[in-house]
Amino acid sequence: MLAKEDLAKYPFLQKAAAFIEGRNLSISDLAGPEFSNVVRRAVERVRSSILGEEVTTETSDPETEILSYPLALAFVYASKITWLVNRFATSEAKRCEEELRKEPISKLEEIGNASFGWKVEANPISLEWEKLDFRLGVWQYLEVAPQFHSVSWKLTNKYLNGGHVYLKAKDFARLLAENLKLRIVRRASEEEIRKFDLPQLLMPHLEGLLKLAEERKGTFEEEAPQGLVDGAIPPCIQAIMGDLASGKSVSHMARFAITTFMINVGEGVEDVLRRFGNVADFDEGKARYQVEHIAGMSGSRTKYSPPKCDVLRSFGLCVNPDRTCSRVTHPLRYYRLRLKDQRRNGGVAQGAKGGGGRGSA
Amino acid sequence: MIRHLQFASARALKEYLEVKAPANAYYSSAYYDTPSAPDMVGKGWQGADLVFDIDADHIPTACKADHDTWRCLDCGAAGRGFPPAACPKCGMKKLETETWVCEECLKVAKEEAFKLIDDFMIPDFGVSQKEIEICFSGHRGYHLHILDERLRRLGSDGRREVADYVRGVGLDPRDHGFREIAREGAFLGPDMRDGGWRGRIARAIYAYISKCTEDQLRQVVKSAAVADTICRNRAKFLENIASDPPFWGGIKGYSLESVVRIALAAAAENACAIDERVTLDVKRLIRHPNTLHGKTALRAVRLDYSELESFDPLRSAVAFRGGSIKVYVKGMPRVRIGDHEAGPASSVEMEVPKAFGLYLICKGAAEPRS
Ligand code: SF4
Ligand SMILES: [Zn+2]
Ligand SMILES: [Zn+2]
Repeated sequence: MLAKEDLAKYPFLQKAAAFIEGRNLSISDLAGPEFSNVVRRAVERVRSSILGEEVTTETSDPETEILSYPLALAFVYASKITWLVNRFATSEAKRCEEELRKEPISKLEEIGNASFGWKVEANPISLEWEKLDFRLGVWQYLEVAPQFHSVSWKLTNKYLNGGHVYLKAKDFARLLAENLKLRIVRRASEEEIRKFDLPQLLMPHLEGLLKLAEERKGTFEEEAPQGLVDGAIPPCIQAIMGDLASGKSVSHMARFAITTFMINVGEGVEDVLRRFGNVADFDEGKARYQVEHIAGMSGSRTKYSPPKCDVLRSFGLCVNPDRTCSRVTHPLRYYRLRLKDQRRNGGVAQGAKGGGGRGSA
Repeated sequence: MIRHLQFASARALKEYLEVKAPANAYYSSAYYDTPSAPDMVGKGWQGADLVFDIDADHIPTACKADHDTWRCLDCGAAGRGFPPAACPKCGMKKLETETWVCEECLKVAKEEAFKLIDDFMIPDFGVSQKEIEICFSGHRGYHLHILDERLRRLGSDGRREVADYVRGVGLDPRDHGFREIAREGAFLGPDMRDGGWRGRIARAIYAYISKCTEDQLRQVVKSAAVADTICRNRAKFLENIASDPPFWGGIKGYSLESVVRIALAAAAENACAIDERVTLDVKRLIRHPNTLHGKTALRAVRLDYSELESFDPLRSAVAFRGGSIKVYVKGMPRVRIGDHEAGPASSVEMEVPKAFGLYLICKGAAEPRS
């Protein structure tokens, strides 16, 4: 049985939405004095996500916790700041994942079946030495799993049988949490949400949050870029650039690889977006948010780095590796090696002028 | 190309085709709110079927040496068979190709279609036979559509995962039941009776070790000593991994690393050769069933699973029966259409059955003569 505490922990439960609807409250009602706790808690949740602090669940007063979630979301959507949406989604997903990992299998199964319309079964199979705790439909798995950038999440490396993907409990918890994050983020581009404005009475709270967000954002936009040096780009990244330039749409992994690569060699968000501009199904808003996220301006403060060669290889992205490739295991390492080589050779050939190191080799 | 057409009924479509008589007719794999809207936003994408394209062009068959040629546009070097990725002489990638299909090509394409259905779609993806629509493309292969409402809204990233799965892209045997255990060199592994790639890898290793030569094995494991050990203990090795439960240790002298290498080499033979670009597209143009292919004058034929085995495209897809025409043949390899076989031939005039003549004309290999 799912109790009120569960609804407080897992706002994606259908019952949590039903609970709120049952109270028949509008967002403006929450501005009333009897809900000051709810407002305080909602502001706190958004604040913590902006500051990158760990958000924990307040279960001592589950009703306040439950009601504070939609209000926190309202603040986030009303801010119209994409990176804030993403950041909030990430911290909520993290909080939920942590809670989910504490749950016994039977409870996880119940939660899995009562949230996204998924059909989940627990304890399905023991294979040789390993036990896989859950199974869910492959099409549902594929709604979420392509978000993960690790080879072991590839469908090819999952146990797929009879239309079901089999997962360990901890992976299942991760998948659920990631889906929560996806849904928060995707909703932001829906018409209804984009048009959403906060009731006047709540505006002062939002303004406080916006100010804090501005301050934090500033700290992520330092370090002047040095820019991309053509002759040092590894073949894998060149191939993706070629595909993009000719308007081909490329895989999620390819987008991730090129974005992380460019950001890490010091290109800016705009430079990266320009590369994507030719692709037919280019969605500027969505792409910008993804690139900003990877650049560490939003969501987690960590800057992502590109996948290693063996990961790229297993995604079929390592094409035409050359001599330098045999010396490296990471595309960034390739880039640095080439830069060093160029500087050595270029320094002699180009004399004192230098010429900016734009090799054409 | 005329695009964005919308028809209120199958009859309206048929009438349109009769009046316009286009060389090729396609429909979109996508479902739209308003198919006739000129741009994607206006169309309102609702979802799309999952489509697989199996095309003999993508499969390097031996017969290609008999009927395919390529020529480098940069240096003029030329050769027969499956075209290389780049010119072996000058390294440029601009190659001009002339390709044909023969019975062998179409047989291989059919085998791939069966592999996709029987080895992947039904057992692994849990798709039922009646949810699979098969269509001979009218030229070099087959289209398979998976008609399951639950996957219609799947995005391109998800579809790519499906394509990678059947092609075995990114396969890591270590995620499929192999595990080193404390004792040095000893390890556990999957069971041939397991489902998915896990069982497939075990079966592939079994099949590979059953038939490989020591030379081949040496190249795969990159060690003469390991190849020697496995080949000397071949029977024992096979018996061990086939036992219930399987026993992957037992023979000293090779490590998990070697078995992983064997697994990857062996699994490659079990992957399915599809054109992945078609699968990951969420709005692909597909030849309309029962229309003619503009390059062959053959019919795109919709088939049931039960009909696939006995289907002979070069007979069953012939649209023009009876009658003959005179053509001037510029150049062609041996070709069969229906019961008529001819070639290789070049620079000759001949009188041939109508379907045969139209095939050559559509391929651009002949001109009509009166
Ligand atoms: S070896 Fe590494 S750097 Fe070189 S092309 Fe492959 S993935 Fe890129
Ligand atoms: Zn050449
Ligand atoms: Zn052939």
